[in-house]
Amino acid sequence: MDFLAPFIEVLTPDNMKFLLEGFWVTLKVAAISIVLSFIIGGLIGILRYAKIPVVSQLLAVVVETIRNLPLLLIIFFTYFALPEVGIDMEIITAAIVALTIFESAMLSEIIRSGLNSIHKGQIEAGRSSGLNYIQTLRYIVMPQALRRMVPPLVSQFISLLKDTSLAVVIALPDLLHNAQILYAQNGSNVIPIFIIVALMYFIVNYALSLIAKRLELKQA
Amino acid sequence: MLKSKKFFKMAFATTMAAMVLAGCGDDKTDENIDVLAQIKEEKKIVYGVKYDTRLFGLKNPSTGDVEGFDIDISKALTEEMFGDDVKPEFQEVTSKTRVGLLNNNKIDAVIATMTINEDRKKEVDFTDVYFDAGQSLLVKKGSKVQGIKDLKKGTKVLAVKGSTSAVNIRENAPETEVLEFENYAEAFTALKSGKGDALTTDDSILYGMAEEDPSFELVGGTFTEEPYGIAVKKGNQELVDELNKALQSLKDSGEYDEIKDKWIKK
Repeated sequence: MDFLAPFIEVLTPDNMKFLLEGFWVTLKVAAISIVLSFIIGGLIGILRYAKIPVVSQLLAVVVETIRNLPLLLIIFFTYFALPEVGIDMEIITAAIVALTIFESAMLSEIIRSGLNSIHKGQIEAGRSSGLNYIQTLRYIVMPQALRRMVPPLVSQFISLLKDTSLAVVIALPDLLHNAQILYAQNGSNVIPIFIIVALMYFIVNYALSLIAKRLELKQA
Repeated sequence: MLKSKKFFKMAFATTMAAMVLAGCGDDKTDENIDVLAQIKEEKKIVYGVKYDTRLFGLKNPSTGDVEGFDIDISKALTEEMFGDDVKPEFQEVTSKTRVGLLNNNKIDAVIATMTINEDRKKEVDFTDVYFDAGQSLLVKKGSKVQGIKDLKKGTKVLAVKGSTSAVNIRENAPETEVLEFENYAEAFTALKSGKGDALTTDDSILYGMAEEDPSFELVGGTFTEEPYGIAVKKGNQELVDELNKALQSLKDSGEYDEIKDKWIKK
């Protein structure tokens, strides 16, 4: 059992607590960003789908711009450029804002394409049975589209959770950041810590995938 | 055609107006803030320090405190300058974030293994040198690389991003290939796993690595001078003077040497 020795050496209660503190920050940032970007992305997706003149075009420009920038750049921008115009944020807020901006754009595209995938005949049928446009969206299009959106939505949530680690560049004290500090104490810790960190990310993300699978089965 | 032109004009005017409006009225990010006065008023001074660098600034996961030469110097300087009136606080910076944080007034001073050089002097004001480092090479004992002259074509040198050492090695050994890593621990791990022939950075940091793993040694002495300075936001000469005065009296009283001996063992 020689290969376990470095793990036992690294896994002191203090070190574990330190890693879990980082993991808590990761989860918190990811959870808040997921909720916010789902709401904002959902709104943008529906507004673009509804093809409202001017609004839809403007949103298209915004989404395309954000979607085609690297997330790292957006993180730097929210932390360093926004204070120049008077919006000053803590590291954790800046990370959440940056992730929300980026992921809203990504999610809005998933939601829009999910809505688009529903056949026009469904809307026409809804409208001719006396429902108005909003009601048709709410009761006819949405339920069918949501089912199709679940897999890409969940994989986007999973990449959001992993993307939180990019905020290490502005020193967000997340899981990866705390791992770096731990192996800076002792260089021989690097590999065991990498493996532990990988396990932590994997467990949460795999749980997300399992939930997604169950949701799909339930709806099918 | 005319319509769209008008639209762009309107949009441009609105954007400019928004930028002008946003530019004024804010207090914290005003360009010409007197940092020294603010320190005295708020009774705290925020130092930007490294959290991941052995010997200089390293967070201790058991206590949650940051420990190292830079930290002890910050505390001693604060006491020398303000007595017990002002409390030192620490915020983590990296090589990439420290200048931005100074300019946004999120920190008052940077003590983070920052080398004084001409380019950086354009962005920030530096105090006198508080630590004299020099760039050197760390190799596995018995390596064929015994100095900067051995870094010929076909050799690989490991360095850290955002630091002066990567620039210096390219100047001093132009034929060698330079691989840059995110931080010192990762660069050292790469050296151990044979990803390069030598690791280059300031000797003070390399000594810490050689101490951690005695199968590595420093070779060839130093080939650059890396004077570390304390950086403050441009236009704060008063604060620079205060820091210099405090630094000098720490050196005179012997407290500086005590702190140095505690962390840096040659």
